[in-house]
Amino acid sequence: MMQALRRRIKVYGAFAAMAPKDYFAYTAWVWVEFIAQFLTMTIFVHFWRAVYANTSTLNGLNLPQTLNYIMLAQVLAPLVQTRTIFQFGFLIQNGQMAIELLRPVDFQARVLVDTLGWLGMYALLKTPLLLIAVILFGLQLPTSPAVWLAFGILLVLGRAVVFYFDWIFACLAFYTTETWGLSVVRVGVATFFSGILIPIAMMPGWLQQLAGAMPFAQAIYVPTSLLSGIASLADAPRVLLIQLGWLIALAILSRAVFNVAIRKVTVQGG
Amino acid sequence: MPIIQAENLSKVFRIPHKDPGVAGAFKAVLRPRFEDKVAVNGISFSVEPGEIVGYIGVNGAGKSTTIKMLTGILMPTRGNVQVLGRDPHRQRVANARDIGVVFGQRSQLWWDLAFIESLNLVAKIYEVPPARYKQLLDQFAETLELGELLRVPIRNMSLGQKMRAELAATLIHAPRIVYLDEPTIGLDLIVKERIREFIKQQNRAAGTTVILTTHDLGDIEELCPRVIIIDAGALIYDGPISTIKARFGKYREITFETLGDASACAVPPGAEIVGAEPRKLTLRFDRTLTTASQVAQAVMNAIEVKDFSLAEPDLASVIKQIYGGALREPVTP
Repeated sequence: MMQALRRRIKVYGAFAAMAPKDYFAYTAWVWVEFIAQFLTMTIFVHFWRAVYANTSTLNGLNLPQTLNYIMLAQVLAPLVQTRTIFQFGFLIQNGQMAIELLRPVDFQARVLVDTLGWLGMYALLKTPLLLIAVILFGLQLPTSPAVWLAFGILLVLGRAVVFYFDWIFACLAFYTTETWGLSVVRVGVATFFSGILIPIAMMPGWLQQLAGAMPFAQAIYVPTSLLSGIASLADAPRVLLIQLGWLIALAILSRAVFNVAIRKVTVQGG
Repeated sequence: MPIIQAENLSKVFRIPHKDPGVAGAFKAVLRPRFEDKVAVNGISFSVEPGEIVGYIGVNGAGKSTTIKMLTGILMPTRGNVQVLGRDPHRQRVANARDIGVVFGQRSQLWWDLAFIESLNLVAKIYEVPPARYKQLLDQFAETLELGELLRVPIRNMSLGQKMRAELAATLIHAPRIVYLDEPTIGLDLIVKERIREFIKQQNRAAGTTVILTTHDLGDIEELCPRVIIIDAGALIYDGPISTIKARFGKYREITFETLGDASACAVPPGAEIVGAEPRKLTLRFDRTLTTASQVAQAVMNAIEVKDFSLAEPDLASVIKQIYGGALREPVTP
């Protein structure tokens, strides 16, 4: 049993280890993303300073709290602005899906491990950005290890929730083979409802409800609120339970959808 | 015990029907209509361990669709397929562990990374023991001349290099069955030779069963004692290549270059004129009625011959006849 698990970790870990290598194949991109995120952060900080020019609190949040939140959310943003749906469609359209399905591993598990494994790499990549935010814009990071640990758990689970959600929609590609439009809409919706632009606590009630009905906040708003100090550690267990609910429901559903969709698979060409 | 068994295997695709033009496209969106396209129609065959089988047919005959059903990535519409005692679609992952697949136009390798990275990964996911991996890698490196390629990213490789890399990655876990879908497509003669040699070697040394689709007759002649020919989704021949050659190689062609006017020559018995130019005469004769020397003699007696050549009954002409419909009725070998 233990040995079987160890073997699995080795196999899936080997896959996940390819992602960073692939990323660094084009080093220019590493810099482009860094600069783009730095510029966006600068704009956001100035925007929110302007918003707070005539007021000290907005929906219970003061300027330092909001800035803290926005900067952290900004750093994490690429994690939900993914194009999984499009990439899935692309795999099907160009026939590469056939190759993926011929690998002797569970395809979904493999992509999930890839996705979550990437988080470790991501933390490393974004450390310079965080430091810049601390130095230039006064970002305040918590010192309590418990907060960091809870944040880590919430982030990993939240990312997994979004992964399973995307997987369900990605399976549409088996039927439509066109996924670009859906993918673009998905990034737009996720950017807003994950709380990258505005803390969800600032939204009007009905929008908050809408955001709560979608999974995106689980990956950004939930962990960022804790790390930025908007939410307290005491609240973490309750939030964690909700996340687990999302996770289990979407995991089961996504597997079922995939198993049905795969019978449809029409590998193109050849 | 057959290693692959297909019974009455069929695949029907439902494809959207579109009338031509913008109006047609709109109509298809509003009221989609589908038509059924039968890609594979009731094919049955079995393959024994260690065989090399050429699976041939014109483009669109249903070769790739069959391969995809055998590998488990396509679910058959009807019929039954067993590979190594498993249903490859239901037990896709278990099946994948024991097979290797090369699709001539796709790659399982990481495009941007050095080839050795992909190889290492493949060895890990198939759990090839390190010592065995090293041994196989050395052996493959020699036959496929991989030495310098190991550090090269796939994207910088030529077509021939890519295919060699692909084959090495596919066979590094010593699969019991390999499916090669047009492995020599677009390659030069030397690379083709090397790849054929490699396939033969794997088949001989490791007893690997090979299913090969190809349009390259050299592949078939050199590799496949047995061929399965399909046409419009149906099996039209399954048997040794020699039977087909004997049956369709009944006629031979002989070409004479003459000094005098070639049309002056009377046609020898058992032969007919295929082409006649002022100084060139091509005759086809039935080997069961006459011989090459009889035909040649008759022509040489009539006119002065500068040179002549006898065409081998090559597979190309045989296959052309078969694709042309000469085998609509199935034959038993």
